[in-house]
Amino acid sequence: MEIILDRPRCEGHGLCEEVAPQLMHLDDEGELVLDVVHVNEDQLDAAKQAARVCPVAALRLA
Amino acid sequence: MRLERIVVVGNGIAGLTASDSLRAAGFDGELTIVGDEHHSPYSRPALSKAALLDAEEMTSHQLPDSTHDARELLGRRALQLDPDLKTVVLDDGSILPFDGLVIASGSRARRLAGADPAARKHELTLRTLEDALELRRRIADRPSVVVVGGGTLGMEIASGCLAAGCEVTLASHHQPMVQQLGPHLSEVFLAAGLSHGLKFAPSRAIGLREAGGHPLVELADGSTLAADLVVSAIGDIPNTDWLADSGLLTGGRLEVDSRGRVRPNIVAAGDVAAFPTSRGITRIPLWTSAIEQSKAAALALLNGDDAPELSFSPYFWTEQFGLSLKASGFLPLEGAPELLEGGPDGGPALMRWSHADGSGTAVALNYRTPIPKLRRLANPAPALVESPA
Repeated sequence: MEIILDRPRCEGHGLCEEVAPQLMHLDDEGELVLDVVHVNEDQLDAAKQAARVCPVAALRLA
Repeated sequence: MRLERIVVVGNGIAGLTASDSLRAAGFDGELTIVGDEHHSPYSRPALSKAALLDAEEMTSHQLPDSTHDARELLGRRALQLDPDLKTVVLDDGSILPFDGLVIASGSRARRLAGADPAARKHELTLRTLEDALELRRRIADRPSVVVVGGGTLGMEIASGCLAAGCEVTLASHHQPMVQQLGPHLSEVFLAAGLSHGLKFAPSRAIGLREAGGHPLVELADGSTLAADLVVSAIGDIPNTDWLADSGLLTGGRLEVDSRGRVRPNIVAAGDVAAFPTSRGITRIPLWTSAIEQSKAAALALLNGDDAPELSFSPYFWTEQFGLSLKASGFLPLEGAPELLEGGPDGGPALMRWSHADGSGTAVALNYRTPIPKLRRLANPAPALVESPA
C-alpha cells in the first residue's frame, strides 16, 4: 500500500504525525513530509490511523 | 473482568476512534457500533470549510475505510440504556446486551424556528453530511442568505456562502468569534468578513417565520431580516435524551471522570460528554477533543485505573474570509497578545497569550507552523531545574 498526500488540501495540523511519527513529520515550515511512502504490513495500521485523524482528509491509502 | 462484548453508541469520529483504540489495545471480542446516520464516519469540521467549496463532487469530508472490523448497525438510534441490566434498546426494538459500553452519541444542532413547519422548512443547519449537501444545493442558485449565530460555524458558513456568490447577512448579538477567540481576534475576523462583503446585524435572533413564501428572521431589536435562505448556527445540544432514565446524568449532563468513565464498564467521549479540564467539567465539542477523549476512554474501559488519565491540550482551527487560524491552548483570549512573529491585524502572525493560571495559548494566523511547535510555544516545558546529585 502507498500513502498518498493531497498537498493542496493539507493544512499542516500535524495530527497524522502524532499518531504515526515513524511514517511522517511536519518540517520546520509546517509542510508534511512523508518519510515512508510504501508501507509494509506492520506499518499499515499506523498509516490508516494517520489518514483517519486528518480532519481535511489530505491523506489516503491506495 | 475481561470484556467480551462492547457496544459503541455513535458512529462519528468519537465512536470510530474509540473502536479503533479498543482494537489497537488488544480487544478481540464482539464489537458493535450503532450509528443514527447512514454513513461511515466523515470529517465534520470539513463540512463548513473545504466541503462547501469543493467544485464538482463533495469529497473534502471523506475519511478512509475503518479497520476495526466491528458489526455496524447504521441508520439506527439508541433509545434507552439500562446500566444494571447492561442493555441498550434500539429504535427498531432490538436489544443489545453488553459488558462494556462506549457512549459517543454526539450532539445535534440547535434550531431557531419553533414548531411551525412553514418556518422550519426555510431553516438549514449544518451538522450532518445531509445538511452539507443540502446547503451546497441551495446556495448553488446564489440566494440571499441570513446566517444566524456569530460563532465559528456561523462565520465559516457565511464565508462559504459569500464565496459561492451569495449576499450574506450575519445576525449575532455577540461580536463574531468573540466568545471563541476573545475581543482581539474577534476584531480581526469581523474586519476580514466585512472586507469580503459580509453584512453584520448586531442583534439577537429571536424567531423565524414565513412571510410571502420567504423566511423572516425576527431580531430582538424589533427589526426583521428577509432572505431566501436562513442557516442557523446557534450551538449544539448533546444527545443525552436516550439516557434520561439511565441514572447516569448529573443535572442533565453526562459527566465522566478523568479517564472518560461514567461507571467502570461505561465510558463516554466526544460532543456528548462533559469531562474534567483545568477549566472545570465541561464539554469541548471539537475534533481533537473527541479523538483524545475517545482514546483515553477506550483504554479506561479495558484497563480501568491502569489506563492513563486524559491529558487534553486544546487544539482549535478555523478558516474563513481568507484567514486561517490555528490555536493551541485554552480559549477565549483576553487582552492583547505578545507578538512572536509577523505583524498585527490579520497576520501572518504568531501570537501568544498568557492566562492567569500560568498556562498559555499560542495562535498562528495565516502562518504555517508545525503544530508540535505551536504546542510548545503555548506551554513551554518547565525549565530544567538542577537537582542535587
